[in-house]
Amino acid sequence: MKPKNYDYYLIVLTTIILFAIGIVCVYGITYYNYLSAVPGWTETTLYLQFIDNMNSYLYPFLVFLLISLGLCIPKRLFEQDILIKISALSLAATVILSFLLGMETAMDILLAVIAGIQGIVLIMTFNRNRAVRFEKEGYLVRMGSSMLHLGIVVLIFNFVTLRESQFHILIFWAGTLFVTAGNIFSFYPERMNFLFKR
Amino acid sequence: MGFTEYLAAREFASNTGQPVITYIFVLALLQCIFAILFLRKKGDRYYEYLIKCLYVGTGLYILGFMVIILFHIQIYNTVLIEYPAGLQLPVESSRFAVPLWIESEKLYFWAMVASVFALTVKGRKELLSFLGIILSVFSSLVFFFSNPFKDPLPIVNGEITRWYAALAGNDNIYQVAGTLYGRITYYYNATYMWAHPPLLFIAYASLIITFAACVYMLMSHERVYDEIAYRYAKPGYILLTAGMLIGYPWALEAWKDSAWWWDPKISGSIMMWVLYSAYLHARIYVDRGKLWRTTALLGILCFVSLVFTYLLTYIVPGIHSVVQP
Repeated sequence: MKPKNYDYYLIVLTTIILFAIGIVCVYGITYYNYLSAVPGWTETTLYLQFIDNMNSYLYPFLVFLLISLGLCIPKRLFEQDILIKISALSLAATVILSFLLGMETAMDILLAVIAGIQGIVLIMTFNRNRAVRFEKEGYLVRMGSSMLHLGIVVLIFNFVTLRESQFHILIFWAGTLFVTAGNIFSFYPERMNFLFKR
Repeated sequence: MGFTEYLAAREFASNTGQPVITYIFVLALLQCIFAILFLRKKGDRYYEYLIKCLYVGTGLYILGFMVIILFHIQIYNTVLIEYPAGLQLPVESSRFAVPLWIESEKLYFWAMVASVFALTVKGRKELLSFLGIILSVFSSLVFFFSNPFKDPLPIVNGEITRWYAALAGNDNIYQVAGTLYGRITYYYNATYMWAHPPLLFIAYASLIITFAACVYMLMSHERVYDEIAYRYAKPGYILLTAGMLIGYPWALEAWKDSAWWWDPKISGSIMMWVLYSAYLHARIYVDRGKLWRTTALLGILCFVSLVFTYLLTYIVPGIHSVVQP
């Protein structure tokens, strides 16, 4: 596989994973509608069971998405062969941890690690560190891409792991800010240029 | 100020708005005819008429929206809910600051913004004609199924009428006031209602153009349509993401005792968002092989999911829905 192809296949893989998450959502809608035939079902344990079931259907795809996002992140730091090893290791570690500690705990660990790496990449990108490689040129596009990826990981981490935390809303707004600013920087770098002129 | 003034304001909104929306509908029919004639015969004359219809139609939409704004201001000024002291609520009274995009007004708002966006599409007459047909269908749907002037704000009206009936001693005032306090605090007057729905509807309006351009991309295989689709997908996606996320803190506060996790509308919104994310991801390599076809198909599928998500409120029970199990 040529190095250039790697990014292309990663994009295709991410697209397929996102599409699969969409299908899980459609299933969730149908499932909810089916259960609604039971009067007052949301007041019973049936609802909790429904939530658990839906989460368990979603989590494997979230793991794949996180690994694919995770690949998107270290691809900016490491060579391709190292990346493939990292991705295989991440997947294997998540599967093993899922069996040992449960799916949610495995997700928590994976999310914490990926959020950490993503944060480092964002700082390195901000400092214009040359060790970080990007497919696309332009400081703001790179900043936007890094912020967007970090924001998504932070939001997922917050929803999955930190729902009961006292900092939940604060972290939520931080994630929202990263995602929104990341989108704007990625889509309109030329218009945002004035912010980072040196 | 009171119920009589409120009723007069409601009647004025209906009497003023009805002719406006009727003209919008008539113009939409003409717009559709001119768009079809242009696409079939390629006559520039038809295109000029189409553009005129679009401009006048958009102007009428804005005029109608001003009538809606005026009506909402009048509701605020005329209706005062003074809670009985026995209820021990944190406030003594409330007024209705009703958002401009609820009940039958939301489809109107979406159609109005879509018309404004359509006027910004430049360069491709065929695409604008196709958009003209889509907007005609949209205006017809508004006219027949979501006319905000036929029976202005029926749910708000029902609540106000019940309040004044309770004041006149025809209903349990404590019960009515308690219900109204919850509705006004967590729904009508909630700050989020001024950000969450309008951001989504503006995003939807932008994404209509992405959809139309994706259809044309599939039909013509011309790269320019992909660029137009992308140009409108960008603001659409930013507003969609921000609009969806802004709803979350409010949901935590307002629905803390309700079952809303995996609610169908929320599932639908996530589905729509991941599909648009997939579209934007796939588009990065639009020039590679046949990926442009996949991208265009994804853009169309995204819009189908958007319409489906909008309709979920009316077809599947849930906390966002108007239908009961």
